[in-house]
Amino acid sequence: MSTTGTTGGARTGQAMVFPGMAPSKFADVGRFMAVNPFARRLAAAAGRRLGHPLLESMRRDDSDYSTAAQVGFLVNCLALAQWAEQELGVRADLCAGPSFGEKTLAAYCGALEVEDAVWMTAELAALQDEFFATEFQDVVTHSFTRTPREQLDEVLAELTARGEWHEISCYIDDNFFMVSLRERNLDWLLERLRALGGFSLYTMRPPMHSAAFGALRRRAEDEVIGKLEFADPRLPVVADQDGAVLHTGEQVRTMLLDSFVRPMRWTDVVDTLLERGVGTVCMAGPDSLFGRVARTTANFEVLAATPRLALQPRRRGAVA
Amino acid sequence: MWDERFEESVRRFLPYLPADEELVADAPLRDFGLDSLATVDLLSVLEDAYEVRFQDEALSLATFETPETLWKTLSRIRAEA
Repeated sequence: MSTTGTTGGARTGQAMVFPGMAPSKFADVGRFMAVNPFARRLAAAAGRRLGHPLLESMRRDDSDYSTAAQVGFLVNCLALAQWAEQELGVRADLCAGPSFGEKTLAAYCGALEVEDAVWMTAELAALQDEFFATEFQDVVTHSFTRTPREQLDEVLAELTARGEWHEISCYIDDNFFMVSLRERNLDWLLERLRALGGFSLYTMRPPMHSAAFGALRRRAEDEVIGKLEFADPRLPVVADQDGAVLHTGEQVRTMLLDSFVRPMRWTDVVDTLLERGVGTVCMAGPDSLFGRVARTTANFEVLAATPRLALQPRRRGAVA
Repeated sequence: MWDERFEESVRRFLPYLPADEELVADAPLRDFGLDSLATVDLLSVLEDAYEVRFQDEALSLATFETPETLWKTLSRIRAEA
């Protein structure tokens, strides 16, 4: 393993980062999964653990966040990390995985066996579906940008004054956030953000990353994560809740559980990577967010290891 | 019809539109590669290029559906400025 640090003031470290989940249609990733040797091997392992072929499941249920889609996303991200190591020469000193990326990260760093990460992903997907079918049905998580923190605080203060619950669930960049709130307040929020020059992106149902979801965290521990054995990671892990550097399996386990109830802070992850001398970030997987926001692109060289890139013919060892 | 600066600005964010293919008024920009974050970047580029500020109902994904919808909105904002 190479050493993280600086040489002559330049940051020379590398980090492997696993993106949060973005919808990817089977038509977009199916060929990669059929052709790429890393993906084929991992998909076969996933199929053995789940008891049915992964690609078949993905083909049958092409909805954005189905259980099969989530397992497929994990498999593809992991495969692209392995591909990036072999073909792009990436040697990660640290690794991170915001939001869904935590699950991929747990397998990549060796805290979980790949098969266990697959099982955990499938079980948590089913658990969340079941939980949110009856709980917090009126809560959504809304993402938006072009809204500085001071302005957001003013908007949220208005909600507080009206006695309406809200919580910042994701800190993506200095002006880019995700807020959870009751759906009855969504139109009001959209209007207030627009009036301030903010730009709304999408609204997630079910919501995510909120202190209100303690019951879900408990069930995830009792029914899924508590049944797994965690090993110490083979390289340091940066927690997406606060940028802390984790060295033990127990810490990785806690990070996964805390993801249900604590906000995701990509900004803190970036700060830690900078402090640790990281200059290059390899985004392993179909990423539409973390590798592209200014906070990331202004601070790092970003290697986007995508299915599209991996499918292009290339000389071994060639740099992207 | 839009001006050259607009055409150049929009094309930069359409990776799936071949350089020799015409940008037609009703082209679905998302299909040509304008995803959410690219939309935000294009918005900033247009604001800088035309020295305007998008606000209120102009700040929606619907504004960026086609070159025509975007140019109409931009023209209105410039006229009001």
